[in-house]
Amino acid sequence: VLSPAWMSALTWAAVGVPVAVAVAWIVPALRRGVVAAAPFAAIPALALAAVHMVSPGTLTPVEAPALFLGLRLGVDTAGGALLALTAVLWTAAGIFARSQHRHDPGRERFFAFWAATLAGNVGLVLAWDLLGFYLAFAVMTFSAWGLVVHDRSEAAVRAGRVYIVLALVGEVAILSALFALGAAAGGGVLLGFELSEAWVALGRGAPLVAGLAVAGFGVKAGLVPLHVWLPLAHPVAPTAASALLSGVMIKAGLLGWLRILPAGGETVLPGVGEALVVVGVIGAFYGVVAGLAQEDPKTVLAYSSVSQMGYLAIGTGLVVLLADASHLALGAVLLFALHHGLAKGALFLSVGVAERVPAGARKTGSGRGTRARWGLRAGVALSALALAGAPLTSGAVAKGALKAGLGELGGAWYAVLDPLLLVAALGTALLMVRFGVVLERKIGTAAEKPGAAASAGDDLAGALPGSTTPGSVPSRSGLPGLVLPWAALVLVGTSAPLWMAGAPPLPDGVAVPGPLDGVLAGVLPLALAIGLAALVLRRPGLTGKLRSLDIPPGDLLVPVTRALARAPRGAGRLSHLAGSGTARLQSAEGAVVHRYERLARGDLALARGPLLALALFGLVVLLVFAMLGG
Amino acid sequence: MTGATPLVSWQALPLAVLLSSFVPGIWIMLLAEEQRRLRTVLNLVGAGAKVVFVGLMLQGIGAGAEYGWRLQVVPGLELTLVGDALALLFVTLSAVLWLVTTVYAIGYLEDSPNRRRFFSFFSLCVTATTGIAMAGDLFTFVLFYEALTWATYPLVVHRGTPEAVEAGRRYLLYTLVSGAVLVLGAVWFQVETGTVGFQSGGVVDPGAAAAAPGRYLALFLVLLAGLSVKAALFPVHGWLPVAMVAPAPVSALLHAVAVVKAGAFGVTRLLHSLFGIEVAWQIGGAGIVAVLASVTIVYGSVRALAQDDLKRLLAFSTVSQLSYIALGVALLTPMAQIGGLVHLVHQGLMKITLFFCAGLLAETLGVKRISQMGGIARRMPLTMMAFTVAALGMIGIPPVAGFLSKWYLGVGALQAGLPWVVAVLLASSLLNAAYFLPVIRTAYLDPPGSAWSGEGDANPVGGPARASGPRRLEADPRLLVPALVAAALALLSGVFGGLDWSPLGWTELIVGRGDL
Repeated sequence: VLSPAWMSALTWAAVGVPVAVAVAWIVPALRRGVVAAAPFAAIPALALAAVHMVSPGTLTPVEAPALFLGLRLGVDTAGGALLALTAVLWTAAGIFARSQHRHDPGRERFFAFWAATLAGNVGLVLAWDLLGFYLAFAVMTFSAWGLVVHDRSEAAVRAGRVYIVLALVGEVAILSALFALGAAAGGGVLLGFELSEAWVALGRGAPLVAGLAVAGFGVKAGLVPLHVWLPLAHPVAPTAASALLSGVMIKAGLLGWLRILPAGGETVLPGVGEALVVVGVIGAFYGVVAGLAQEDPKTVLAYSSVSQMGYLAIGTGLVVLLADASHLALGAVLLFALHHGLAKGALFLSVGVAERVPAGARKTGSGRGTRARWGLRAGVALSALALAGAPLTSGAVAKGALKAGLGELGGAWYAVLDPLLLVAALGTALLMVRFGVVLERKIGTAAEKPGAAASAGDDLAGALPGSTTPGSVPSRSGLPGLVLPWAALVLVGTSAPLWMAGAPPLPDGVAVPGPLDGVLAGVLPLALAIGLAALVLRRPGLTGKLRSLDIPPGDLLVPVTRALARAPRGAGRLSHLAGSGTARLQSAEGAVVHRYERLARGDLALARGPLLALALFGLVVLLVFAMLGG
Repeated sequence: MTGATPLVSWQALPLAVLLSSFVPGIWIMLLAEEQRRLRTVLNLVGAGAKVVFVGLMLQGIGAGAEYGWRLQVVPGLELTLVGDALALLFVTLSAVLWLVTTVYAIGYLEDSPNRRRFFSFFSLCVTATTGIAMAGDLFTFVLFYEALTWATYPLVVHRGTPEAVEAGRRYLLYTLVSGAVLVLGAVWFQVETGTVGFQSGGVVDPGAAAAAPGRYLALFLVLLAGLSVKAALFPVHGWLPVAMVAPAPVSALLHAVAVVKAGAFGVTRLLHSLFGIEVAWQIGGAGIVAVLASVTIVYGSVRALAQDDLKRLLAFSTVSQLSYIALGVALLTPMAQIGGLVHLVHQGLMKITLFFCAGLLAETLGVKRISQMGGIARRMPLTMMAFTVAALGMIGIPPVAGFLSKWYLGVGALQAGLPWVVAVLLASSLLNAAYFLPVIRTAYLDPPGSAWSGEGDANPVGGPARASGPRRLEADPRLLVPALVAAALALLSGVFGGLDWSPLGWTELIVGRGDL
């Protein structure tokens, strides 16, 4: 579609524009420009994704040997699918954030972090070698900390700490794997993604290295038990950032796996693939159980992400395990990532919208905004149904593809996993019902807060299509700016079954199931879930029992930190030992110094006064001689 | 490399580099305290001239030229200055950082007493450092190494406070004793090998070393003992955290370029130019350096954890980071050597940024302790941004330059078959994060402290002049701009690591040419 020069320029712009926006923050005079530009900084990436969809495979990687250790950017199959997701979600969330942070005094800082995070996210999708990927991954990870802690609440600071600690652990694990691969690749500084020789060269060390890579990227991907930061950090971030963290940034971990692990056929690591499948299944269930016990809609969604990333871990395991059909599994993984990103992004944004929709008659005694509330519920239902894998949705397509990949694996694996996944689907459906229940409580909460826009109801009514409420004047509260990107995401996600078979260029030979395939598998869990939910809601006693599960956000982290807190005796003894050791060392050092001092006191007198000048004079003479002699 | 022919092939160019700071140093000493303008001009002209000379030499060496200048002192002993690729790595670092530090120091010491003495010795200190960098043999090296001790002492005690005097005494004790050991070692080396010349690949005869490994190891260790004080290797690092009482520009230069780098550079010379790395491994000396450096890396970081005084934290961080250099150059693989050598520059850029920032906080708001830094990023966003960039670089987060050092070191260590080195590196990364990230969190997230003094209030050297005027910038630009420039250099050295002229590119040239 475009000439190579334009393609190259567009590729660089996709990363360069967000970088430029972030860097512009340094100049105080440009900071207002940062706020204006950052929400739209993903537009070049969006254009690049569009070009790639229209004419896949036309892009040869662009190179900048001067940058870093030689940067190369390009779009391949895996990158193309995730680029589309990244660009769409960042643009939608950008417009959302633009409205949500309109009156935020910290918006300059927020959007600087925003642009930096975006640069990292697009960069890692486009990176053409492992070091470039690691660079962009790190930029995204550390910039996103600024988004997580943005509101500086106690919860945000705590989440930020947990986030950064686990991120560092992940970085170190990844880096050690990269060291090993780099050394095995003959010290090659530029590691392409053609790593099979390096994996073979690692020999017996390969499983350890692969384990480090899986765990390192698993932190980002929310792999159980490395997920504990996720239910804390995803919800406390401002809503737009939550959507991105849970919708796309979490996929950076997935892409990391796909990039670094040896794909099927030439695999030397069957154990790693099997481990990923097993951990994925555990995650798929664990996320549901922990999520059902949550009270905050965003936390429910975060646990849902843990659960859904379990499916993606299974899919990645298949990519590693399957010999001839690895590309089928890759296609399924990409479809699933796309589907989950769109649905999860829309659901997170819906929380932000719900807070601003006027509360119903029960709360305020007025009937305002009834249409708005039902519009919200309809949109949420569409996204939730997709996530639960209902027929005719993107979820049905993605799960069908994954199941086809599992079928290729066959054998005992299939026999065990197929029914298990059906049960997991029931869990997902239940989790979505739970989300709906807790979301209802959020409706109108922001409008009640002091300082919130008083006319939120009118604004929303004006923004919803087909509304006849008279208040459809341009708003000052920016609610349309929240509703439009959310509605657009819902639409894109809902229409996905129509285009997702063709639009992200998938590996050759991937047969995408139709949305009606496997209707039974889709309907059964859904019907069960709704039935169960109705049962539970009718019987308050049951709800109470569910509550008594009492899993705090961050689940495993809580007992761990409690245990750490309870271990001060051991830690105290250790630090006491270290302290007394240091003190002893210092006193020994002091004694030595003292002795030297007495010895050297004569010399010290030399340091002061005329002898120093004399020494300098000698040096001058020496150098004058030197000049004459030279 | 670009440029087919050297622009200047004048052999005495190294001498010109040396004199460009020596002459201002002496001249300033002869001026009166009040001749502020002339002093500033001399400082800046000298620093600028040095950068130009160094630039010419860089271009020449890139085009394949060699520079050398020698003078016979007594028959058999020559003062030898060479400008080769390895020397230029260190000379360029000191020239560039001297320029920014001069600007910073002029701003920092505004209206304080004894500036004549300060700037005079400041210039002589850099002269000695450049001399060490360009020393072509052990004799010249020792000469400048001792001169550096004397030129730095007045800077350490500059404030004249009891702590400063105490720090100066400690500094002199350590360096004088080690200097004596170094002279002893140099003489022994001359007797043993019949030469004191530096040569890439070493001058020690491998056969002779193999015949008497014990004696050669003893010789190696004596020389190492002489060098390890300035290189701040455990357990003789004790002077460094104390010496941070010096004014901020001195600490910056001391920790980034002058004294500590002289030690690290000396260890490089010892391993590569005197013994040769293969011989050094055979006799076991290089292994000892690697282990000592690893211990120091971890020890320095652990000590840094408990500090509340910002400059003291930075000092222990220097102890730790400095040993990356010794560790890298002590390994046999080219990648590890590149990683160690390039850290000479990378650590300098990052650490000088951190010390500049510490000085900025102390000068502008009187903040010297981490516990006083709550919310300070809102008051001084650019300062804290520079600090954050450098701190992330220390942890090893790309694209800041520190990552490149770490990458080369890690891969090189694995190639050398030493996985424990990787463990040390990664532990160091986590420890660095454990003491730098809380500082950053405090500065960005904690509520602003009430302990901040007004502009210039708690400032012992600044006058009321700084309190007035519109608050357009968060701090005096003469302090802020050098910090931002240094941070930008640390970042850009990483971002443009692939350039031939980046520190990394230059180091690859050194190792690739076999100049180490």
